[in-house]
Amino acid sequence: MRRLLAVLVLVVTAACAPVPSGAPPIGGGSPGPPRPADAVELTAPPSTADVPPSSCDPRASLRPTGPLPPPGQMPAGSTMARIQAQGRLIAGVDQNTYLMGFRNPISGELEGFDVDLAREVARAVLGDPDAIQFTVLTSEQRIPALERGEVDIVVRTMTATCERWQKVNFSTVYLQAGQRVLVPANSEVTGIESLGGKRVCATKGSSSLANVAAASPKPVPVSVPNWTDCLVMLQQGQVDAISTDDTILAGFAAQDPYTKVVGPQFTDEPYGMAFPKADEDFVRFVNALLERLRADGTWARLHQRWLGDPPTPPAAVYRD
Amino acid sequence: MLVEAQRNRGALRRVTGLARSTPGRLSLLALLLIVVGLLVGAVTAASVQRRSGALEALADRSEPLAFAAQEVYRAMADADATASSAFLSGGVESAALRSRYEADVAKAAAALSAATTEITRSPELTEALSTLSGQLPVYTGLIETARVHNRQGNPVGAAYLREASTLMRTHLLPAARELYGVETGNVVRDLEDAGSLPWLESLLGAATLAVLVFAQRYLTRRTNRVLNPGLVVATALTAISLLWVLAGSLVAVYNASESKNEATLVDLLARARIATLTARGDETLTLVARGSGATYEAEYAEADEVLDDLLGRARAMNPTPPVVAAVEHHARWQDAHRRVRQADEVGDYTAAVALALGQDPRGSAAAFDALDSDLVEAIGAARAELTDAIGRARAGLRGVVPAVVVLALLAASTSTFGLWQRLKEYR
Repeated sequence: MRRLLAVLVLVVTAACAPVPSGAPPIGGGSPGPPRPADAVELTAPPSTADVPPSSCDPRASLRPTGPLPPPGQMPAGSTMARIQAQGRLIAGVDQNTYLMGFRNPISGELEGFDVDLAREVARAVLGDPDAIQFTVLTSEQRIPALERGEVDIVVRTMTATCERWQKVNFSTVYLQAGQRVLVPANSEVTGIESLGGKRVCATKGSSSLANVAAASPKPVPVSVPNWTDCLVMLQQGQVDAISTDDTILAGFAAQDPYTKVVGPQFTDEPYGMAFPKADEDFVRFVNALLERLRADGTWARLHQRWLGDPPTPPAAVYRD
Repeated sequence: MLVEAQRNRGALRRVTGLARSTPGRLSLLALLLIVVGLLVGAVTAASVQRRSGALEALADRSEPLAFAAQEVYRAMADADATASSAFLSGGVESAALRSRYEADVAKAAAALSAATTEITRSPELTEALSTLSGQLPVYTGLIETARVHNRQGNPVGAAYLREASTLMRTHLLPAARELYGVETGNVVRDLEDAGSLPWLESLLGAATLAVLVFAQRYLTRRTNRVLNPGLVVATALTAISLLWVLAGSLVAVYNASESKNEATLVDLLARARIATLTARGDETLTLVARGSGATYEAEYAEADEVLDDLLGRARAMNPTPPVVAAVEHHARWQDAHRRVRQADEVGDYTAAVALALGQDPRGSAAAFDALDSDLVEAIGAARAELTDAIGRARAGLRGVVPAVVVLALLAASTSTFGLWQRLKEYR
């Protein structure tokens, strides 16, 4: 009887035990801030580490052969004749670098210093600066696009380096840039040397990213596909600084008054137009064109339009 | 211990003693009929109630929630495609695109608040729902930032748009897809519950009838009267109840299987509409990327293939005029897309953009708009059919539960009354 009672008490207590609520907890907040597509924090240095052969001068290009042929009358069998036959120059440019190559959001047209230079090449070959088809390339896509022959020319803030000379040809230098650092206006960073352990943005496949990874004390390089993605990450507080060529940084500073460019140029970035390795005749043609643009003031006019008061144009250096 | 056993034995003896005399047996029979009648009535009523509950859940929750989930998914995909179009069109976006985007965001938020009620029934959705409600404001924030920069002529606006689109494609749309999958699964489950064949009800009804017939035969042998009026009435009542339950359940089962076809059609069309929006977003982004949009073009091809398949299946199931028109407009869009790509590939970017966005009746925009409105119409029609079929199924079961209960009570009392008449003769 007592046992029965005990069992009864047990059953009653079990029945009176509180029933746990079945309502699920409130879901787990934010799965992290939004990020640009393919933004990656690098743990290992990018494979494009600069190891220039000592004999190489990346500024030295191929010497022009004689004066420029008149537009629309390219010598038969030349690369220029092929471009003339295809009716337009296919140029790899950028649409994300303010003042160099960017898409004007109001008109939807591509504009900038690089874009205007590409138009000058189209004018020289075909007689019409609009006989041009733009292909937008990211930093990383430039060399593969040239190697596959998808573009005739790349005019896209591309630094001539010895490593790249192995795969493509460069024109003479058309703009002299150097790498610096862009930080928010209230930042205490004074240059690349004070960025140790901080997150620094640059595009994938750019020489800037390799330079950031090689800096000491070591920053944390963050790579993105396009330059403007860096500005987005800086504005959203996801990186502490952007480090790249001063020409590109000037474009960022123009878009965001709350940023400043700090520190001296710590690298030398001579920009050249890039060509497929086989098209040497086109390189010589464009070098002749650049000689003319430097001499007749077109270069200075374009520099004035996009980048401000023109310095002396970079001098042409030839390797042959 | 001993006393208890003796008491039990006494009770047993009384029952067996009762079973030995005819009046005792009649009393036991009466008891049996009452118990069987009421028990079967209760179980049958519960079973019908379950079926009708499944239909109610379907009509009041699963189906509207699946529609809400579909709206969340659709509105978000459309917002993304519209934002890209607005960007591509250059300058400040047109009032039409702006209001379409705003309507999408409002719709997504409203549908999301409806879908969130499902969290108690499907706790596995907690994460998807918190992603959706948490990241939608982030998405709209990025779009507005992009818009402000565009107005100021800053190319960084395009980067904000890309980031927003990435957020949409990597977080919001997968969560919306999951939500839609679970909600559609709930509809199918409820339909299966409502559409199961009424085996239990039939078996129980038949068993009750058998017990009644057995009682009748027993009485005939014992009392030399051919029919006992009470039992005859009870048998008739039980038969009516069984037929009523069977008829109602079969109407429900038939309409549930109809609904299942309609639900499949709604699902096909809804997914076709989402594939349409995805393909449109990809078509636009290919042009935005300007030459480096090969991945978007590949995604377009993928979405287009899915769309082709879904539309083909929808047409095979039910070739209504809007579905047929959708197939036709899709073919026209594919053709326009080919011309867009052709123009872009030979370097005529301006013509490609005009063909993709302009008002040209043979261009992409016109074909896409026509296809989208065909699908809206087809989904509306299929959904109306679905809710109608669910309504017919519910109508079949209306009043069955109270009828079963009342008939079971009546059958039990009439059979008791019939046996009571016989028992009285032994006084």
